[in-house]
Amino acid sequence: MASCTIHTAPYSCSISRPAAKAFSLGFHQRHQQLIFFSSGRRSAVVCSAEKTVVIGLAADSGCGKSTFMRRLTSVFGGAAEPPRGGNPDSNTLISDTTTVICLDDYHSLDRTGRKEKGVTALDPRANDFDLMYEQVKAIKDGVAVEKPIYNHVTGLLDPPELIKPPKILVIEGLHPMYDSRVRDLLDFSIYLDISNEVKFAWKIQRDMAERGHSLESIKASIEARKPDFDAYIDPQKQYADAVIEVLPTQLIPDDDEGKVLRVRLIMKEGVKRFAPIYLFDEGSTISWIPCGRKLTCSYPGIKFFYGPETYFSNEVSVVEMDGKFDRLDELIYVESHLSNLSTKFYGEVTQQMLKHSDFPGSNNGTGLFQTIVGLKIRDLYEQIVAERAAASAAAAKV
Amino acid sequence: MAAASFPGAVKGLVSAKARLSEPLRGGSRSLLVLYPRRGGMALVASATPLELSEKVAESIKNAEETCAGDAASGECAAAWDEVEELSAAASHARDKLKANSDPLDNYCNDNPETDECRTYED
Repeated sequence: MASCTIHTAPYSCSISRPAAKAFSLGFHQRHQQLIFFSSGRRSAVVCSAEKTVVIGLAADSGCGKSTFMRRLTSVFGGAAEPPRGGNPDSNTLISDTTTVICLDDYHSLDRTGRKEKGVTALDPRANDFDLMYEQVKAIKDGVAVEKPIYNHVTGLLDPPELIKPPKILVIEGLHPMYDSRVRDLLDFSIYLDISNEVKFAWKIQRDMAERGHSLESIKASIEARKPDFDAYIDPQKQYADAVIEVLPTQLIPDDDEGKVLRVRLIMKEGVKRFAPIYLFDEGSTISWIPCGRKLTCSYPGIKFFYGPETYFSNEVSVVEMDGKFDRLDELIYVESHLSNLSTKFYGEVTQQMLKHSDFPGSNNGTGLFQTIVGLKIRDLYEQIVAERAAASAAAAKV
Repeated sequence: MAAASFPGAVKGLVSAKARLSEPLRGGSRSLLVLYPRRGGMALVASATPLELSEKVAESIKNAEETCAGDAASGECAAAWDEVEELSAAASHARDKLKANSDPLDNYCNDNPETDECRTYED
């Protein structure tokens, strides 16, 4: 019932303390570990009764500190922080249940190396996919690994840090779904697709305050990275179980500020343990404007769309929100009309959004759909745990 | 907008806290920093640590020079990629500074139920 790997490395595998904590959102974990030493040879066998659940997140926005990550770890409970006492420039985030790894750590070329070869970080030649696959597989099997650290400030590869297998491992970066072996290890995958106009607007906001940057330099930077992005990163969309697409709003003509956004949650049909959310009637096509007699909204209002579509020859369901939330009651009104949210109580989505009202995107579809995807992942995780418990109970009877 | 100088100014910068336009639900505060620039003071939203800021400016100059030669080359793309990487790092550093700058915010994040941290929304 438990999968065991015999590890005779010079260093012994880390042993996680069995934690029987009850989390604020009400799901319990029993992390059973069997450790036994064989006489003679000094080898430690670490067997984990529960394999780590691995989630992949493809995003262009740098690692581990992104809003999506913070929302996701918040749904599981507890704040995610960099590992204590380690390299201060580590990209890893650790919370009670979740560890977030930045895939930039698997760069095979550091900044100088890339400059010499003339490749961007987006290029697969700058990344060590063999190591990525090896280590993600090891963590999934319950073996701790020494993972390299890519220091974004110095641009160098720092000495490795120890990563112990968590209950949930999130790998975030540019290429989580690029390598097919790594893709097969993922229990769920998400792609954050920001359209060019929105990307431009966000980068302007981010960089204009920076000395040296100008509109031209920001534009040039996006343009120069585009060929590699389109060739290597963008194609990963077709493999994702959920895509969050961020587009400019259609409610305000010629909007270029990117403050009001049209966000589409594209959910693949037929994914194991993942039931797409829907509006009113599953499988039908719905166009919905919640503002009216029961709910008053301010300009430019909110518009929803739900329907089945085809995305890269996959059957998908799409829920789309255009506009922004101004008030609490708009948010709860919308939540009460969405179905299959996998919430544990009425208003949980609203509560999670309020908890992080200072995060960017808290008043539009990005925050809403990121929170919902977080709840879906929690549901997926609990299903896996329940399946394992049932399997081990059945095995025990035999 | 109210401007005040706080004790413990960082590296000769005067920081002012102001509420920008309409407050978001939950209330958000932005850090406006008076940054000494040639020709007077410039109001910049948050300060990047000096060395990172210099690295970004340097990398932009370097990228422009590299691309002046051959705009389609791999070196040009790599140079602008470096600019992007450093800008992202600078943005994260700014956020980190902002996140740790207010002792009241830090205390309330850890203890939201205490009297000092209660918020009332009508």
